[in-house]
Amino acid sequence: MRLKLSILIAKLAGTLSIRLLRKSGETIPGRILLALYPRAISILSQNRKIICISGTNGKTSTTKAIVEIISKLGSVTTSPSGSNLDRGVATALLTKSEYAVLEVDELHLPRVISEAKPVAVLLLNLTRDQLHRMHEVKRVADKWATAAKSAPETIFIGDADDPFVALALNSAAKSLRVSFGGRKHLDGAVCPSCGVYLNWSGNNYKCSCGLTNSNPDELFEAGTAAYRNATLANFIGKVLGGEAIAINEQALERSVDREYNGVTANLRLTKNPASWTEALNSISGNEVILIVNSREVDGIDTSWLWDIAFTQLSGKRVIVCGERALDIAYRLHVEGIEVELTSNFDEAISKFAKGSRVHVLAAYTAFHELVNA
Amino acid sequence: MSQARIIRIHNELLGTYGDQGNAEVLAFRAKFHGITTTITDVRYNDPLPTNGDIYLLGGAEDAAQLLSLEALLRGDNLEILHFAIERGAVILAVCAGFQIIGNKFWANGKEVDGLGLLDVVSVPGEKRLVGDIKTISTVLGFELTGFENHMGRTILGPTAQAFGKVVTGNGNGDGKFDGAISGNIFGTYMHGPILARNPELADLLLTRATGRKYAQITDPLALKYATWRRKVIK
Repeated sequence: MRLKLSILIAKLAGTLSIRLLRKSGETIPGRILLALYPRAISILSQNRKIICISGTNGKTSTTKAIVEIISKLGSVTTSPSGSNLDRGVATALLTKSEYAVLEVDELHLPRVISEAKPVAVLLLNLTRDQLHRMHEVKRVADKWATAAKSAPETIFIGDADDPFVALALNSAAKSLRVSFGGRKHLDGAVCPSCGVYLNWSGNNYKCSCGLTNSNPDELFEAGTAAYRNATLANFIGKVLGGEAIAINEQALERSVDREYNGVTANLRLTKNPASWTEALNSISGNEVILIVNSREVDGIDTSWLWDIAFTQLSGKRVIVCGERALDIAYRLHVEGIEVELTSNFDEAISKFAKGSRVHVLAAYTAFHELVNA
Repeated sequence: MSQARIIRIHNELLGTYGDQGNAEVLAFRAKFHGITTTITDVRYNDPLPTNGDIYLLGGAEDAAQLLSLEALLRGDNLEILHFAIERGAVILAVCAGFQIIGNKFWANGKEVDGLGLLDVVSVPGEKRLVGDIKTISTVLGFELTGFENHMGRTILGPTAQAFGKVVTGNGNGDGKFDGAISGNIFGTYMHGPILARNPELADLLLTRATGRKYAQITDPLALKYATWRRKVIK
């Protein structure tokens, strides 16, 4: 009875927050539900199939693709876009359905696995990100591995080209290891399993302890992060009995086009060295805006800007803005790339001529502000 | 025309917190002073170059920190560092690197002997110290800013002097001092990277490494950035 009452209050709070506060009402219901009934995730997960998606980059868009695939198999509820902490999960579970496809934050994943008992977990990648909160990449990887070990009924599917993902897959009773032929990893110098210097040969690793990306259960061709996520979405869909879909790679890049007084801006979410590198490699034109913020979800420190090679920006017109515009401006100055400093996005975009197409690499908070404006 | 050989030690292991940028800022500031520089990346299996003028170590996770220590104790590497210090080379070691060059530190739940180049001992604290940090440098006499993210508590021995007096943040853990110095050896918990946020410190290291005095640099963007960080970190 108390759970029912808690659900009622949580739903009412969500409606009120949308009506009165004009908020999106995404995390309020889940937050209230968990406060009133801490075990709500565990109970609301019973009698339905839960699928969790986690990783540093690509969670939101991969989750959307999987929802599309699974919706042909039965009714689906999913996390509100990008809301991936336990409260977002709880909000999603307030809706009745046969399936729940949940985007889960890397640090919240162990709790969600132990309470929701998912049928399948998809692990995309794990690289340095928000270190003020994650502290260390290995720390997150160890939590994943422990969670995988303690969920023998769950099948873990993931990209074994990432040694941290491979560690979790190896720790699980049931797993499917996918490879895209290997790729370099910024944090891959040390074996996350045994702590020795990891033996890399080109894009592939093989540790004396057995951790490796060779002999995968499924081998796909190499490609961009968006392609890999699309492939993984279809792969987990197939494992669960779904049919493959054609996936819009632009949607998977977390990039959208917006018009500003005749200037087309291709807005792209960039939040850590891996997503910046991926975005920089995709720039085709010569006009670029970079927005750097340092709020909690952006990462409150900007030291990681020095981990990125910005050579692709050489020779292009680069305008920077955001709360940490000076950090990126000085970073590029030292790289030999001079930028124009502006005080906000409106000013930055106004500097381009009508008809031009500008690549906008935006911090997490900036991306959401622009897309939701 | 003077020269400075910058040796970036084990960036693949000690590069988790962006400290690799210290080498780039040194090379960049050196250009203004008319110093030619080279940056050499030393990998885990490489021997240390014997002729470095500035040796850099950065922050790392525990397992990587232990591997770096093991590699630095291999072959003649420690001798090379002792010899470098004797001939006046500079060492800048940040966070995990700072702990490595000390007498003892903890990693993966165990105490290990460090390189013993700096008279400090580091122990784990109860709480991770994460956030902006500002100090007043004891050698330079001006403010330094950065970002700290560590569990370490570092205690200075009699032959080490504190690097900075903490204004904001925690530093060595007591909230009073950050880092340690001894001659041309500098240890600190400040990321940022520290030389990007405090380019005057890069100039000081270049002066110490080459043994020459240089005129003040005019780089308005560097000044604007450093001044802004000092202002916003209260």
